[in-house]
Amino acid sequence: MPRLTMFVLGAGFIAGCGDNLAPSNFPTIDCTKVNATHCVEVHGGDSAGLLTVANSIDANTTIVLGAGTFAMTNQLTLRTTGAHLIGQGVDLTTLDFGPTTTQGNGVDAVGDDFLIQDLTVRDAAKDGIRVEASKGVVFRRIHATWSKPSDPNNGGYGIYPVKSQNVLVEGSSAENASDAGLYVGQCQHVIVRNNTVTGNVAGLEIENTEYADVYGNTAEDNTGGIVVFDLPGNPIVGRDVRLRDNFIRNNNHANFASGGTVAGIPSGTGTFAMASRRVEITGNTYQNNNTGDIALISGLALEPDVTKWTLPMAMLSGTYTDLGLLPGGAPNTIMNFRGENIVVAHNKHMGSGTMPDAFDPLHIGQLLILAYQGHPVDNVLYDAIGESEFDSTDATKNTNVNHMCVGGNPGGTFASLALALQSATSQVPFFRPAAPFAPFDCTALAGGPVADVILP
Amino acid sequence: MPKTQVSLLVVAACLLPSGCGGGGGGPDGSPVATRPSGPVNVDLEAAPPERLSSYNLFTWDPATGFSFNDRVVPYDVNTALFSDYALKQRAIYLPDGATASFDPEQPFDLPVGAAIVKTFYYPADFRTPSEHLTLIETRLLVRHADGWHPLPYIWDAEQHDAVLSPAGEVRAVSFIDAAGAAQTANYLVPQRNECQSCHAEQDTPDSPIELVVIGVKARHLNRSYDYGGKVGARNQLDRLTELGMLTGAPAAATVPAAYDFRPIEAGGLGALSPPQIEAAARSYLDINCAHCHNPHGVQGMTSQLFLNHDSTDAFHLGVCKRPGSAGAGNGGLTFDIVPGDPDSSILYFRTDTTMVGAMMPLLSRSLTHGRGAELIRAWIAAMPALACTAPPLLP
Repeated sequence: MPRLTMFVLGAGFIAGCGDNLAPSNFPTIDCTKVNATHCVEVHGGDSAGLLTVANSIDANTTIVLGAGTFAMTNQLTLRTTGAHLIGQGVDLTTLDFGPTTTQGNGVDAVGDDFLIQDLTVRDAAKDGIRVEASKGVVFRRIHATWSKPSDPNNGGYGIYPVKSQNVLVEGSSAENASDAGLYVGQCQHVIVRNNTVTGNVAGLEIENTEYADVYGNTAEDNTGGIVVFDLPGNPIVGRDVRLRDNFIRNNNHANFASGGTVAGIPSGTGTFAMASRRVEITGNTYQNNNTGDIALISGLALEPDVTKWTLPMAMLSGTYTDLGLLPGGAPNTIMNFRGENIVVAHNKHMGSGTMPDAFDPLHIGQLLILAYQGHPVDNVLYDAIGESEFDSTDATKNTNVNHMCVGGNPGGTFASLALALQSATSQVPFFRPAAPFAPFDCTALAGGPVADVILP
Repeated sequence: MPKTQVSLLVVAACLLPSGCGGGGGGPDGSPVATRPSGPVNVDLEAAPPERLSSYNLFTWDPATGFSFNDRVVPYDVNTALFSDYALKQRAIYLPDGATASFDPEQPFDLPVGAAIVKTFYYPADFRTPSEHLTLIETRLLVRHADGWHPLPYIWDAEQHDAVLSPAGEVRAVSFIDAAGAAQTANYLVPQRNECQSCHAEQDTPDSPIELVVIGVKARHLNRSYDYGGKVGARNQLDRLTELGMLTGAPAAATVPAAYDFRPIEAGGLGALSPPQIEAAARSYLDINCAHCHNPHGVQGMTSQLFLNHDSTDAFHLGVCKRPGSAGAGNGGLTFDIVPGDPDSSILYFRTDTTMVGAMMPLLSRSLTHGRGAELIRAWIAAMPALACTAPPLLP
């Protein structure tokens, strides 16, 4: 295994070795510019060499990929602590998984202190870049894409950190995923900033994740723009998620998911928060999302069976005991279907809600079409599931036990839908108060604002 | 098909001097395999050798088959992971004087220096499964003080030796199947890091990830194996105990056994009773899925779908459970299992499909395992029908 011998000699030798290659293959970065215990350069296009390197490296090795397209016949699997994968730039270095005939993701990594930067991942069979069970994860200036737009056979997730801690995703883009372009799942302590997601079913998802700061991102031309939710049965209860200063516009892409939760997202959705708590949606710009901008909904809208939302406390990770979660039916269990304690404030709303999706499988769009009769849908919608009182006109006969706070969002309109009272044959008029939307006029989260996420 | 491997082994074993007690030649003048000379060489201090033969674990000869060194004991499992119909020759090696300790449920605790050896091969025609064999790869798991180290070796074109190949390989493998049809698999020799797709567990999401063995469990090993020669057919657990390589095992008859899939492979589901279908399906899911889909599987934890044989919670078994992040793998369906309705069940879809990106298990399969999919289908169909709650609140 001559290559292995080569790696352990370290950066100095490799740098010398790199000099033998055409210098133009490493125009942006080579091992002389990398500060790592070990560094290996792989010439652009040498996919067999890349697989050998990835499966032979010691801990704390940076792999620098040259300019070119790597035709990958299998996923690139990394299982080493401190594995860093750095290309020459999204336009210069591409890992092309189109030739792959086996199951697999594009890049599949498990290992603490993982970094992937400056490259494109294209046409993965499953997820573009999946990083799982890792502490310390950085995605920087990555482009994850599928060549065919709107293809339900595209892989599920473009950029996919899951069950990981201390995650930074920045300056990256994800497009054409059949589920979610940028999907943060079951993670703790996350910053997602300055990314662009386009042409996906869900643009950017924060799922069963705690302590996430999502800002400066652009979500455009997805079915749904930026969404936050919990799914039943997962061991982290989502909380403390901040969506701020993002651009969420023109998310009117036809839903091309082959199934699953996202298949229920109406085309034209800006943001929804489902089965979520301690979420701040502030300072975002919403524009031309044809169904509507923001929906605050209970998990029961997706999964009405409360037993499925029951979680034994013994299986839970993360911090949840201060949340006052509903107890489950059995001792030492909680349930997390409730949507509660959310602040919506200072968002800009322009031109949305003009043409709700008439064909979404959950019939939300149809309900909105019936209710609004051609008028624009209100910017912020609340399903009111779990409220003890609802009245279509009298504010004093509506409760806000879920502490949904839109008082700081006078630039938008608001409606409480009483979703549980609606059906195809009989609709109850929505409650549509004027700003400040009493009794939903609170402006602060119970328990204090979401704190800044500080990554170590 | 399952019987093919057995018969091959019988053939091989009886051609071996050790197996049949012969001397310098076969009784009928047939060729005789050469046993490895000298001891096994598993050197934990050295870098892994380039060539498989350096370990001296076994020899392979197209005419005489596998021949194992001392303290290298071949074994088989009741229900095997489907790997595109590849046949597998498994063996366990324990250093001199070292023993494995029995556990009724967990993998046996194997001593430092032990190795698990698994060779994947194809006959040209499964109707004559011991002829015209091609060895593809041999996977080693070597037990170091810090845990198991996986090492993939790929056999050279001449079939003389196998070469350490951390990058793995995807190879088109053509063969005639048991029904006489031509098949071509996109056979995956996993890259070294992919070994952890199946062989990795952690106690909790915060625990370190450890490599584990899968097949070396009582329920998988509790079956008969024909060792040939004077030994003949013996229960594998009993045999390992007799050899002084396994301690603490009770009589095999008192140990649970996974379902023996061989009759299903050979003859289909036939007239299996509902309890037999249940037992066979749970054994099949256990060996084919539960290496990930168990509460300690690194990726299984993410999905919350637990298919280990002792998973009893209906939700975690997939009943009316929505997948967490199946992406396009859901096949347009909503629930993992809709009892009584396999065609609406993602679990069956993913077992049956050959769509890259959707099929399961994640590794080792490019073809549909017909009998396996048939079994899963029958298992779901036999469940009392239950309409999983469908969204929405709105009709």
